Amino acid sequence: MKAIEFNQLDETLYYKKLSNGLDVYILPKKGFSKTFVTFTTKYGSIDRTFVPIGENESITVPDGIAHFLEHKMFEKEDGDVFQQFSEAGASANAFTSFTRTAYLFSATDNIYKSTETLLNFVQEPYFTEETVNKEKGIIGQEITMYDDQPDWRLYFGAIENMYHTHPVKIDIAGTIESIDKITAEHLYTCYNTFYHPSNMLLFVVGAIDPTEMMAFIEDNQNKKEFPEPTPIERHFEDEPLDVAVKERELKMDVQKPKVYVGLKAKETDLSGEEMLKHELSVQIALECLFGRASDFYTEVYENGLIDESFAYDFSLEKGYGFALIGSDSTSPDELAQRIKEEINNAEQLLSSEAIERVKRKKIGYFLRALNSMEFIANQFTRYKFNDMNLFDAVPVIETITEEDVKNAFKTIQGESQQTVFKILPSSEKEA
Amino acid sequence: MFLTTKIAEGVNLHIRQTTQFKTVNFSIKWRAPLTEETAAARAVLSNVLHHSNGKYKKSAQFRSYLDDLYGTVLYFDASKRGNEHTVLLNIETVNDQYLANSNVLNDVLDLLKTVVFEPNFENEKFVSSIVEREKEMIIQRIQSIFDDKTRYAQTRLAQIIRPNHPASISANGTIETVKKVTPESLTDSYYSMINEDQVDIYVVGDIDVEEVQNKLIQVLQFKDRTPKKLEQQNQESKPEKEYTKEQQDMKQGKLHIGFSTPVLFGDEDFPKMQIFNGVFGGYAHSKLFMNVRERESLAYYASSSYSAQYGLVYVVSGIEPANEKKATDVIFEQLDAIKNGEITDLELNQTKAMLTNQLKEALDLARGQIDIYDQYKNLGETFSVDKWKERWAKVTKEDVQKMASQVKLEAIYFLCGKEA
Repeated sequence: MKAIEFNQLDETLYYKKLSNGLDVYILPKKGFSKTFVTFTTKYGSIDRTFVPIGENESITVPDGIAHFLEHKMFEKEDGDVFQQFSEAGASANAFTSFTRTAYLFSATDNIYKSTETLLNFVQEPYFTEETVNKEKGIIGQEITMYDDQPDWRLYFGAIENMYHTHPVKIDIAGTIESIDKITAEHLYTCYNTFYHPSNMLLFVVGAIDPTEMMAFIEDNQNKKEFPEPTPIERHFEDEPLDVAVKERELKMDVQKPKVYVGLKAKETDLSGEEMLKHELSVQIALECLFGRASDFYTEVYENGLIDESFAYDFSLEKGYGFALIGSDSTSPDELAQRIKEEINNAEQLLSSEAIERVKRKKIGYFLRALNSMEFIANQFTRYKFNDMNLFDAVPVIETITEEDVKNAFKTIQGESQQTVFKILPSSEKEA
Repeated sequence: MFLTTKIAEGVNLHIRQTTQFKTVNFSIKWRAPLTEETAAARAVLSNVLHHSNGKYKKSAQFRSYLDDLYGTVLYFDASKRGNEHTVLLNIETVNDQYLANSNVLNDVLDLLKTVVFEPNFENEKFVSSIVEREKEMIIQRIQSIFDDKTRYAQTRLAQIIRPNHPASISANGTIETVKKVTPESLTDSYYSMINEDQVDIYVVGDIDVEEVQNKLIQVLQFKDRTPKKLEQQNQESKPEKEYTKEQQDMKQGKLHIGFSTPVLFGDEDFPKMQIFNGVFGGYAHSKLFMNVRERESLAYYASSSYSAQYGLVYVVSGIEPANEKKATDVIFEQLDAIKNGEITDLELNQTKAMLTNQLKEALDLARGQIDIYDQYKNLGETFSVDKWKERWAKVTKEDVQKMASQVKLEAIYFLCGKEA
């Protein structure tokens, strides 16, 4: 077991790669009574075309399968795994994103028992046609729930505008039609391909003794047999650099229009510290241009173009990336126009003074976030899957220069990379 | 847990020294009786104070200064509890020890004085243009509930079962009451808040207690006050009707059911009601989740929540509109099962373990420590997890059965698409 010290942060992280390939990280936290554990596979909704383990030809599976699999992991021959967690006083949950599926729990007692439950239920799949079909009603309602959420539709609408072929444009849960095609056999194929320990990461943070916990995990893993790890082959079609659709709208039963300006990232093939620096630089640029302290924000807040829903965000993973900027607005076209003007004038607007201020803000943000076990475990895993280290963020921010920020922003700035997606009230008369 | 000092009549300072966090948290809570008018005025007030003050008149200047203080988070917010309205100021700042040569804490304490006692006045009142802008923001916040169907259904149900009652009054007031706010009335509301409200000030972090205490007493010069007596709630407030169906352009059906219980927060039977809610629908092991979702595949979510301040229990579920009757039947079957004593030891033990865990986890957050202490401090005893754990341990099947028998249906509200 390796101990990695972060002196300035007063944290020590323990790490070991187990013989089956599983990466285990343990971060003890003094003074807390809670422990939070995540068990994550590098497998998400975008992994829909791949070569199944032990085969040679690639296949494409129905949309929404990674999320469906996540649901079905909780059901076993002898019942629902939530029951075991509850009995031990642990809150369990799971989520599926574009690139990851995570299973997790938090608890203040019976930590070893719940850790064992977590490791075992994720590593013992049990799927039958009957249980798979029964889940379709539940997930169907989950999909319908999201269909009725204007903010979710806005988010996906903007992503759909940006991408021609990349599966990031497909809703994580799939559609009622696509999940209907899912079989138990599909689930086993995906499970066996993506849930090998060598494609997974276990993160434990909280009130634990690292040596004892590592021994416990290792012991659990040594009792199980896994095939030799093999590299996973995923396939993605070529994705053009420009956006697929420049402008589109959707009518929904809302009070006020909603708009997002989307910026499609050109630079999506980075990893490690290079990616960390790039990602942080783009975030700093967005904060300088659109943050609460920007001239832009003051102007559009004062003239009523935005309200409290105004938000901006940047997502970057291998193969795709995008920034989204928008708000509920009575004048969505005017707002989109103003956002685009800021983007086009970024070179002038990104002053060294603003950049330095935002860097300080970001350092404070990371330090505050380190109070949150959920943030540490989830973000550490996401960073690690891209060969980045969460604990490098603060020192890397310190090295970022004006030039870094400007260059990074150029990779999302181009006119052909911009798109606008709007949601308009369905009652509104056609213009 | 907290060290409490009275700094003026009606004003208490609660400090907790701990090395648990990398930040220092401050919270000030101003409390006054809750009505639609006070809620509206105080929601606008919290927004106005959030955006500007006498020293930083422009929001951008103010936010830049906070960024410079290593992204110190500072916000005002409006909320409610029982029949009280709360304006709260929260500040979270990085502990100086994690920063190279910096004295952020001292700057933050000075800023505290500015944001509370130096409002952005022109001619001794709030600036009209800012007041109008923030009124508009609150109105939009109220309107946005319509777009979130779950919140909308919940709001409608509360209005139906407890009209003109604190249980259904929003902490933001109503569009009509917000529109009535003027710079003059808002200035009065500000002075009333500063000089007449019950005030609780909280500090949690790795601080020198005496130093922070002295500095806070120096910057927060609150006068003595006798906070207004809060009238007892529970004026009989009868539901308008037992079943309401409304339609919008949407796909899912939102089934919301309201029940009442005579048991309120802090009552002798309160721990029993908490267990009842856990067995009924509070968790993933509960009857609602296990039957509405897992057994019948009718929903993605099906749960209950116990609003102990008002003696209400809400059940919520998102279903296929055509399954309304079936889902309603399954929900009532679960309540009947508890009434009939169909409660396993496993369900009881799971619920007790989950309640204990929830409380302990909440105490791992500075904000959780403040909120829990603030909520339990009026019960006239020292708060401890063990005390509550003991109370839950004593709860039997029969107790839960009795709680269920006292639960009374108030109204069913169903929101669904137009074609259904």
